[in-house]
Amino acid sequence: MASATAAGKGTGRRSLNMVLFYVFVAIFVFVSVFPLLWVFKMSIVTKTELFATPPTILPQDLSGDSWSTVLGDSTFQRALINSSIISGVTTVICLFFGSIAAYAIARMRFRFKGTVMTLILAISFFPGVAIIAPLFIQFTAVGIIDTYAAVIITDTVFALPLTIWLLVAFFRELPVDLEDAAKVDGATTIQAFRKVIVPLAAPGVFTTAILTFIFAWNEFLFANTFLFDESTQPVTVVIPNFATIYTVDYGSQAAASVVVTVPLVILVLIFQRRIVSGLTAGAVKG
Amino acid sequence: MIERREQKLGMPTGRGYSRRDFLKVGGAGLAGAALLGTAGCGGGGAGSGKLIFSMSSPVPTFDALLNKFSKQNKGEIEATLREMPANSSTHYDKLTTEFQAGGGDIDVIGGDVIWAIQFAAQGYIQDLSDDFPESEQEKFLPGPISAMIYEDAIYGIPWFTDAGLIYYRKDLLEKAGFSGPPETWDELKEMALKTAKDTGTKNGFVFQGMNYEGGVCNGCEFIWTHGGEVLSEVTGGEVVIDSSEAVAGLETYASMVADGVAPEAVANYDETTSEPVFGAGDAVFLRDWPGYYGLLGIPTKDGGYPNLKPEQVGIAPIPVAEPGMQSYSALGGWNQFVNAATDSQEEAVTFAKFMIATEQEKSLALDGGLRPTRKALYEDPDLQEASPVIELAKEIIFSNAKSRPVNEYYGDISLELAEQFNNVLTGDTSPQEAAETLQQSLSDIMEQAD
Amino acid sequence: MTSASREKKERGWFKEEFGNPERRMAYYMVLPAVLIIVVIAFFPVLYGVVLSFTDSTVTAFGSFVGLENYVEMFQDPDFLVGLSNTVIFTVVSVTLEFIFGLGIALAVNRAFRGRGLVRAAILVPWAFPTVISAVMWRLMFQPGIGIFQYVAQSIGIISGPVLSDPTLLLIAAILIDVWKTTPFMALLLLAGLQVIPGEVYEAARVDGANVYQRFFRITLPLLKGAILVAVLFRTLDAYRIYDLFYAFGAKELQSLSTYVYEGVRISQLQFGPGNAAAVFIFVTAFLIALFFIKVLGMRTSTEE
Repeated sequence: MASATAAGKGTGRRSLNMVLFYVFVAIFVFVSVFPLLWVFKMSIVTKTELFATPPTILPQDLSGDSWSTVLGDSTFQRALINSSIISGVTTVICLFFGSIAAYAIARMRFRFKGTVMTLILAISFFPGVAIIAPLFIQFTAVGIIDTYAAVIITDTVFALPLTIWLLVAFFRELPVDLEDAAKVDGATTIQAFRKVIVPLAAPGVFTTAILTFIFAWNEFLFANTFLFDESTQPVTVVIPNFATIYTVDYGSQAAASVVVTVPLVILVLIFQRRIVSGLTAGAVKG
Repeated sequence: MIERREQKLGMPTGRGYSRRDFLKVGGAGLAGAALLGTAGCGGGGAGSGKLIFSMSSPVPTFDALLNKFSKQNKGEIEATLREMPANSSTHYDKLTTEFQAGGGDIDVIGGDVIWAIQFAAQGYIQDLSDDFPESEQEKFLPGPISAMIYEDAIYGIPWFTDAGLIYYRKDLLEKAGFSGPPETWDELKEMALKTAKDTGTKNGFVFQGMNYEGGVCNGCEFIWTHGGEVLSEVTGGEVVIDSSEAVAGLETYASMVADGVAPEAVANYDETTSEPVFGAGDAVFLRDWPGYYGLLGIPTKDGGYPNLKPEQVGIAPIPVAEPGMQSYSALGGWNQFVNAATDSQEEAVTFAKFMIATEQEKSLALDGGLRPTRKALYEDPDLQEASPVIELAKEIIFSNAKSRPVNEYYGDISLELAEQFNNVLTGDTSPQEAAETLQQSLSDIMEQAD
Repeated sequence: MTSASREKKERGWFKEEFGNPERRMAYYMVLPAVLIIVVIAFFPVLYGVVLSFTDSTVTAFGSFVGLENYVEMFQDPDFLVGLSNTVIFTVVSVTLEFIFGLGIALAVNRAFRGRGLVRAAILVPWAFPTVISAVMWRLMFQPGIGIFQYVAQSIGIISGPVLSDPTLLLIAAILIDVWKTTPFMALLLLAGLQVIPGEVYEAARVDGANVYQRFFRITLPLLKGAILVAVLFRTLDAYRIYDLFYAFGAKELQSLSTYVYEGVRISQLQFGPGNAAAVFIFVTAFLIALFFIKVLGMRTSTEE
């Protein structure tokens, strides 16, 4: 923040810096967004143009077929709901158990912290493809195959390590006497937590929430293996099925990808505002 | 300092968690309740009068057939469709996961022709010899039947079939002065090069040369049409891929790219990327499956190629090395298998037999555009009229369809073949080297098969 | 902690740990997370480890064969290619993602016009569904119809299809992954930056520190915790890369995980080496994490 105000001053050198800065930002934005624009183009052109050699930069033969296929597809609509449920519940569970555990590790005293942290991390050492079959057997035995539970549990297990490690890192950065300082100022313990700890840790909490949600939303392997029919399958499983035995409908897959990406970005945009506002709550004063 | 912190934190930690976290608890609880309520009821079906049939990429006809079956067996059996992934490997993966876990609850499986022996060898599917005796088998095409046989028993019933063939641009060939399709590979090369040059077509010949199952089909066709074999018997025997005939086949395969008949890109083509090239009019010849014919001249909305009319395109058998040699096409297609772990053995067989009954196969051919496996249906005038490829490809399907060297270790065999065939196309390996490498690796695999 | 009190701790540690209500509370708080992970993952991981020492196939449990599978694995050229690809991929992509991610985080941390939109745009690659991503990218590199193949060929930096050349494929895969995952890194680092109080910078400026000094003496050290977590997790993820290589490279690009997948799910004969490779990934990933914790000073607890 300090450097921003400094750069606002208008000497010639500073203006050059600003210009370079904006160029730098523009490049990053373009690189980030270009493939999505290209995929969008794929979704609005005819199949003939999709496979044109050489490829056309600007769309020429427009067609609404891909979009009407996707938007009218009830399986896809259901899949969007399924994805939302699975991702939402995973994120909530992960944040809840994750932040409790992270708080205990970061701010409380007990032995075996290192062991616990490593144990939690250990699941990130194993490639998902290797354990898919035994997981399937386990879940079949318990009877949760073909339910949201199987995927939610697996996604939670794989998202917890990052959640916990990240929140530990954040909780640990908070000054040791923070709770004490707040109480000296007259706050109750609960108030101390709400008004002091939580806002300061908010960036970490919201960031993990976003990352967990997107991870669960994009997860394919477990959803594909554990879920059998359309009533529970999320978009990642449904999109590749815009295909028949003989052809693949790339245009519809492209349209579906856009439908699936844009709301995520908007969702994140909303959440990101909360990160900034959490900070300006003015928690740390002297 | 430290002690004071401990004291302060002692009591409240349990209850001092912020309100937001209580909301989270509530949220998690509600979510838990929600997911228990909305969880799809899995695992029903088998043994309770309900039959589960699994198949990928269902055409609308499938639903109609299932309803018909359920009506016919009203009160006793109800058939439901479980849709499987469209991608063949993902589909196979899903089935094997369920089999490994003890069988799963699918009763009847719609499966690819190359899965039959692998599933049979691992005990995943039922021996159907009693329900599908030879007298019945005779009514079906010989190619698919042979692919269902393992250790003298038959494990699947052919449902619809496929065989590789050559599509060619009749109109372009005419312009270039050729009167008919090529019989030999040399003729194809000559025609492709001249026609492409004379008519200004970008590519002479396109096919599926990528490192995947389709690449195995393409490569095998070249080997077989030169008189070579991969294995000495269809699903067993010795590895004979280093014979001079097989090497000659691979040499012709490599020469397609080396001599400029086919673009370098074929080494990355599967069906979905080679078909549009021909469909856009950018190739004189295309090697593909019969299903492609149905996409000619129909709108892109339905997955077709409106600018290429059926009248412009002809179908021919896969070319051979020397005139008079037998042409071979890779056999494809889908079949009915019965899960070995099913509770509803009888009902499952009833269903499978229903699906391959003449009436049903005819519906599938008429409405779904699929190729029947019953020989008699190829003489059916309704079908001939509705689906020209039935007539055009009849000879190929009847006489030329040949099974890939499937045995219980086909997974490994396919990986090796696909890779070496692709290396030959990209020029990374010479045909002779590829054949020798395959001779070694396939022999190693076959040794384990005993 | 003095040695006297440490001795006292060791003697009565069980009572100290579980007799103390505050400590017990800490264990209760940690228990659910640990329990979920252990219960769900324990059996599958153990299963894989046991299998790697037997000659089992997919259907039948075999007999103990010691290290045979491991020997076979290390002699398999596919495995070695996968190993080298994976290591190169991990090192290069994580490094690039860190540099770009840090750059983006620093840039977006300032207040400037359009910042909200930029933040949203930067996130697009991470939000794009992975399962389609690889397929779409493959189309974009397909000879003839692919925009990137076309542009690269027109500029003249490559002459043949990218999809046929293993080296070019690896480079393309790295670039795709950097595109996709830089937002992940940027987001984590941004969160870390946001926690640094502005007052610290003010104080430093007042003391006369310039931009570079502020960056290296204040920003980086305060960011260290977030950096290490971000880089560790990215490294572990990159090390286990599977989807991208399998769908984009279509068997032309081998990684450790694709080797595992082929062995465990496709091939019947490579089941043993496939499981061995999974255990190999597990053990080496553990060593990588250990390196981060011990050598790079990543702290796992508040106890100094």
